[in-house]
Amino acid sequence: MSRKAANGARGATATAAAAGGSSSALPAISSDDMCPVCKTIRYLNKDMEFLINPECYHSMCSNCVNRLFNDGPNQCPYASCNKTLRRRGFRAAFFGDLKVEREVDIRKRVAAVFNQAEEDFETLRDYNNYLNMVEDLTFDLVSGDDASRSKAEAELQRWEAEHKADIERNRKAGREAEEITRRRLAAEREAARQRRIEAIREAEDEKRERALSREQELDNLAQAADGQRVQLKRRGQTNRATAAAVDALMSSNSAAASAAMASADVGRLSIRGLKEKRKPAAAEGPYDAFGGMDFVPSRYKLSEDLNVPWLDKYRIARDYVTGGYSFDEYTSRAMYEAFAGLGVFIEDEKEVGIGLDASRVSAISAGIAAVGDKMELD
Amino acid sequence: MASEDARYRQSSQFRLWSFSRSELASLREKANALARASISERLSSTSSSSTTANKNNHDRSASTSNANTPDPEGSAGGASFRLPEFLTVAEEALMVTFYTSQLLGAGEAAGMSDEVCATAAAFFRRFYITNSIMTYPPQDMMFVALFFGCKAEGHFPRIGDFLNMGALSSIKKQPEEILAGEFLLCQGIRFAFDVKHPFRALIGAGMELRRLGGIPEDRIRAAESRAKQILRFSSLITDAYFHYTPSQIMLAALSHADRGLAERLIHNTFHLPTAPIKVESGADTPVDGVPKENNARKDRANEDKAAIIGQHIRDRVLGTIEACRDMLSHEMPERSREHWQTKEIYQDLVLPVKKKLKKCRDPDRSNLVALQRARREKALKKSGGSEDGGPDDRATAGTKGDDAGIFGGDLVQRDSKRRKVAPGQGPALDDPFGGPL
Repeated sequence: MSRKAANGARGATATAAAAGGSSSALPAISSDDMCPVCKTIRYLNKDMEFLINPECYHSMCSNCVNRLFNDGPNQCPYASCNKTLRRRGFRAAFFGDLKVEREVDIRKRVAAVFNQAEEDFETLRDYNNYLNMVEDLTFDLVSGDDASRSKAEAELQRWEAEHKADIERNRKAGREAEEITRRRLAAEREAARQRRIEAIREAEDEKRERALSREQELDNLAQAADGQRVQLKRRGQTNRATAAAVDALMSSNSAAASAAMASADVGRLSIRGLKEKRKPAAAEGPYDAFGGMDFVPSRYKLSEDLNVPWLDKYRIARDYVTGGYSFDEYTSRAMYEAFAGLGVFIEDEKEVGIGLDASRVSAISAGIAAVGDKMELD
Repeated sequence: MASEDARYRQSSQFRLWSFSRSELASLREKANALARASISERLSSTSSSSTTANKNNHDRSASTSNANTPDPEGSAGGASFRLPEFLTVAEEALMVTFYTSQLLGAGEAAGMSDEVCATAAAFFRRFYITNSIMTYPPQDMMFVALFFGCKAEGHFPRIGDFLNMGALSSIKKQPEEILAGEFLLCQGIRFAFDVKHPFRALIGAGMELRRLGGIPEDRIRAAESRAKQILRFSSLITDAYFHYTPSQIMLAALSHADRGLAERLIHNTFHLPTAPIKVESGADTPVDGVPKENNARKDRANEDKAAIIGQHIRDRVLGTIEACRDMLSHEMPERSREHWQTKEIYQDLVLPVKKKLKKCRDPDRSNLVALQRARREKALKKSGGSEDGGPDDRATAGTKGDDAGIFGGDLVQRDSKRRKVAPGQGPALDDPFGGPL
């Protein structure tokens, strides 16, 4: 111990660092580009790692540790450090500042001994006194001078001997508490994981649902008979109830608005020349790209067995079959062309009016036909 | 009205290019008359102006020069200049038919598909309904029609490739000669590029016949191939496309090939027996209201049905097909080789008309390339804005006439519009700054 004290007094850096620690010169590990023992620099050894031994906190590279301590305990290679170190004790420093590293080590040791909890004391004051005592002791250990440090060390050992049973019990309780905490954390993590999986599955479900409904819409469109209105489900309108509720709300709103309008109408003063508000265009119904033309054949029937032997390959052979094209399209077109215009008698229809366009001609002919019908009926 | 017929009535083929016989004849006569009038005017004016002023040459329109140059003798210019003998309507028709056969032969020799040849032939014949053979040269327009027919049917050969197609390489045409007539042709056919052909209809008929059953496959095949031959020639070289619908033409061709099959098809289609004559049980026998209404509705439905597939319409269809068959029988496919391509016919019939045509053709329009160049220059000048001082009526009239010519609907008025630069024809066209000094 006394030797240690002498070391501490001598080192220039050590006066501040100090500390009373078991060692004198604590070189800042930040200047860790060179091993202080073998003078190897990081430039030459990229994987250089500095180790310390809590005995004296002198750092050296792992190569030096291996070299010096492989054959058993040896003296610290630092000049004037007479500590005997074992290879087992070496470890990498967690903190860059070795003073901090050392303080943390000491505090860990103290806390392991003074591990009473608040409920072990009768009053809060007693507990605080106890904490104060522990902190004083720790401070003495960390940065006290030689005498106070040895005193604190003795105190620590005395306390440890006196309260052995208590310490053991508290340690066990602490472990249990730790265990509980650990378990709780694990449970929380697990729950979070479950939630994530659930969310992913939901997203996938929704996606699949959307694709399915889209396909269904297309099928509906493709299969709906002519003239029949196909109701398209709007995307996101899965919740029909809310939509209906919104509708009801809207209609009631509009009803109220129209009622208010009507009441305002009664007492309204009329100003001449005031522009009428343009009424919204009346709904025209769904747009019909074909202008109401009928595509159901009336003279022939389309059926599966319409075919020509030499066209069979287009129906069956894989070289010709392709997605999106059905051979039925061809048959329906051929059949349409075979029968379209059979009942169009150009000679008569065009004779009706030279220079009239087809619609008027057909209108005239329809009119004639209608008149003829009426006469027949009468 | 049957839905198929309603759909066919929407097509441009029906709306723009279907005529009754008398209508078609009158259109051709009008075209002929207009061509005579305009050509004689141009011929006389060029001859007279070439004596008075040499500077009025080809690229300035002849009639304009007439408007610009004072003509002291009035129409006396015609006295020194004898008008040629013009082609008659019948001669024009002969030429159109002859060149149609040439066109079909050229298309076949060039290895073009039936649809392309048929479309080209239809374009060619349509073009010469409102335009006279004397106005635009048929031996040029024929290839223009072929080239454009390719495009209309979805084949897009480059003009160089087109001219090298099979036998076409022997005709020695320059690319610009074809391209010059392209827009002209489009105008002439009133931008109706979709020609409905009976070829696919024939396949449909084959399908229906096989579905009926009980007909030997050999018989159907033989009939189909013969009918196809007829459709490839007879229907294109006659006026069938103007007077009949594709399905009627197809059935007529089929009945040429195998009368039984065609009739069976028609009888099977229009199978509804004639409704028994309604017993007049109206006012004097009071019946319960509801069934009567039902009856009326049923009657109405029956009437509708009868109008589509009844026997009375069947007879009309049969009559029409018979007429079409008659028309086709004038030009059976064999005549392509035995008649139109023989030397005697060419010597005896075609050549004299050709010689006549050489004398009476339009001096301004016989060269399509020059005509197009002149029109381009005119358009350029117009966009340039200022023409040198003088009366500008040609440009203004040209604008009006061209616009009307491009999209103006009236089939018959077009030629007259083109001619309206003639002096004193309308007060609006007289020089707004007073007459020439």
